[in-house]
Amino acid sequence: MNTRTFASFTLAAVAAASLVACGGGDDGPQAVEIQFAAMAGNTAIGCGSTVTGLGSTAATGNVKDFRFYISQVKMIRDDGVEVPLTLTANDNWNYTVGSDSVTLVDLENATGDCPAATGTTGTNAVVKGTVPAGTYTGVKMTMGVPFAFNHTDWANPTTTKAPLDIQAMAWNWQGGRKFAKIEVTNPAWTSPTFNFHLGSTGCIGNPATGTQVSSCTAPNRMEFKLAGFNPATQKVAVDIKPLLDGTNVTINQAAATGCMSGGTDPECLNVFKALAIDWKADGTGTGLPIYGGAAQTLFRAIAK
Amino acid sequence: MMPRQLAPWVLAAAAAALTGCGGGGTTVTDTGGASTPPAGGVGTFPSGNWTWELPTGFPVPKVPDGNPMSTAKVDLGRFLFYDKRLSGNGTQSCASCHHQDKAFTDGRPVAIGSTGDMHPRAAQPLMNVAYNATLTWVNPSLVTLEKQMEVPLFGDNPVEMGVNDSNKADVLQRITSDPLHPAKFTAAFPGLAEPVGWGQVIQAISAFQRALISGNSKYDQYTQGKATLTPAETRGLALFMGEKAECFHCHGSFNFNDHVVHAASRVVETPFHNTGLYNIGGTGNFPEGNQGLFEFTAKATDRGLFRAASLRNIELTAPYMHDGSIATLEEVLDFYASGGRHITAGPRAGDGRKHPNKSDLITLIDLNAQEKADIVAFLKTLTDHEFVTNPKFANPFPAQ
Repeated sequence: MNTRTFASFTLAAVAAASLVACGGGDDGPQAVEIQFAAMAGNTAIGCGSTVTGLGSTAATGNVKDFRFYISQVKMIRDDGVEVPLTLTANDNWNYTVGSDSVTLVDLENATGDCPAATGTTGTNAVVKGTVPAGTYTGVKMTMGVPFAFNHTDWANPTTTKAPLDIQAMAWNWQGGRKFAKIEVTNPAWTSPTFNFHLGSTGCIGNPATGTQVSSCTAPNRMEFKLAGFNPATQKVAVDIKPLLDGTNVTINQAAATGCMSGGTDPECLNVFKALAIDWKADGTGTGLPIYGGAAQTLFRAIAK
Repeated sequence: MMPRQLAPWVLAAAAAALTGCGGGGTTVTDTGGASTPPAGGVGTFPSGNWTWELPTGFPVPKVPDGNPMSTAKVDLGRFLFYDKRLSGNGTQSCASCHHQDKAFTDGRPVAIGSTGDMHPRAAQPLMNVAYNATLTWVNPSLVTLEKQMEVPLFGDNPVEMGVNDSNKADVLQRITSDPLHPAKFTAAFPGLAEPVGWGQVIQAISAFQRALISGNSKYDQYTQGKATLTPAETRGLALFMGEKAECFHCHGSFNFNDHVVHAASRVVETPFHNTGLYNIGGTGNFPEGNQGLFEFTAKATDRGLFRAASLRNIELTAPYMHDGSIATLEEVLDFYASGGRHITAGPRAGDGRKHPNKSDLITLIDLNAQEKADIVAFLKTLTDHEFVTNPKFANPFPAQ
């Protein structure tokens, strides 16, 4: 459907013709930088932006938060093989242990209607890493925190490293973290803030072992793939309009204000459609990506 | 039952000099398990520096590997528990909602946070929380005190202590600036280059909470042959433990609840129950924001299920139920005797007695006035007056 055909790009700094062997020979790992941009349709937004045309009532609201975790990034090679991106060294935005990795993409800066108390002035709009030299045509990733990281005590500095130590992204309701926190607000709305919080639900701990959370019935990790994506010329748009498409953001019919991933929260119906995650009004949704997120509408590639 | 599987604990002296707990109990020394903490711990810890003084019938508490007990840690935890500087705006401590004289509840139907937010539910009592398999009215994902504490400290919906990303460094700085605190942190976390941190604050308060053992009520003394129950209390005990009132099904452990974990636990059950408190409009609905286990599982059959509270010190923890919606023990007995609550008017109207998820143990049981009074009399024997006045658990700061 929204196949965007872009010329496949070559990451190798040197001639890349003979790189079937994934970085063999003298061709070292190649750097990849994937930029993200908060958008409302074709307009870039951020804290301080007033967005029109939101949801089923074409409401007008201000951005209140715009953060999410990206994990398990894979570059899609021209032969179709998905090659994991090795993140840059662990720092305030990136964390890797073994085969699990996560980056906090933080597009709010605690100004405007983004609260100073819960926001952070620092921002990060990029996932940076390396892949073996090769020709890559697309990218695949997950919006979410890997299970191995999700349920750690965030205040424990031994077990919890940046960027998992941001309090605003903690989600003690389910003993885990918010995978995404995107919020719009307007004091004139009947329900003045529409919160979109994505995270695993139905999480159960094991008191006998002291294991914080051993399982969650709805993982709610959003997978998506941009089949044609060239990080040199394109960036990933995160578009609030399709996210809220079909939802009346000015009221709250039931449960948490907005959609906080509640298994039966009526405000989650259309939001989860945009994410292409299995969600059903009777609470029986599996929380798994539908066809690898093929029909998701939140993310798309746009020109830099 | 309750085999005392003590390794790695050491039974230092059985039934010896137990002046603090009414005698007849068990003394167990925490060896710390390991000299270096396993994954999940913070730094290194002293070992062999804590002695449990356990009432008769109490198993050895389970302590997370990463946070062994120590006297210094419990001492620090007590200071932090009572320190208002630990909240974002400096107006609330843990003790603001957990008063010792009320078995660490606050006497309100629902708690109020440091910035005025109303909590949907009532403050929990804190006795014997070391044994709680889960820790709040219903959250099945919180199984350690360390993890649970992130809720009151950092929660934003509702705000309780109000610590957040913008003030968390300042709040720690406030704590460090107290002349008493740095030495206490160093003593509690001797191996750490940087002993002051949120992880340590949480570990110390958790250790203090685990030390809050209550097992010296009149009933405990009665079971040890040291006190005599009145005829009314004796009749109430028989009803409580009998098949007529059926109280014991959910309140039957040594801790008078049914979520219990201890050092030797292999399998732990975490049942939740619907007692027929609401059934708004006959739809099975509970008030918004208080739908119980349903809010975690999204299963219709989990609507209105909550954790059974311990009945120890229940005389002191009014009002009752998760939302404080029943004022007195007498009314609680009326509620259970009716097999649920029928609300006839107002936005919460509906017949809870007919809730489809109601526990099959809650039925119309035809208790007469005398029987209800007898059960209440028995429940009041579960009050541990020593616990609620014990200076070891009291506010260490001088009165202001």
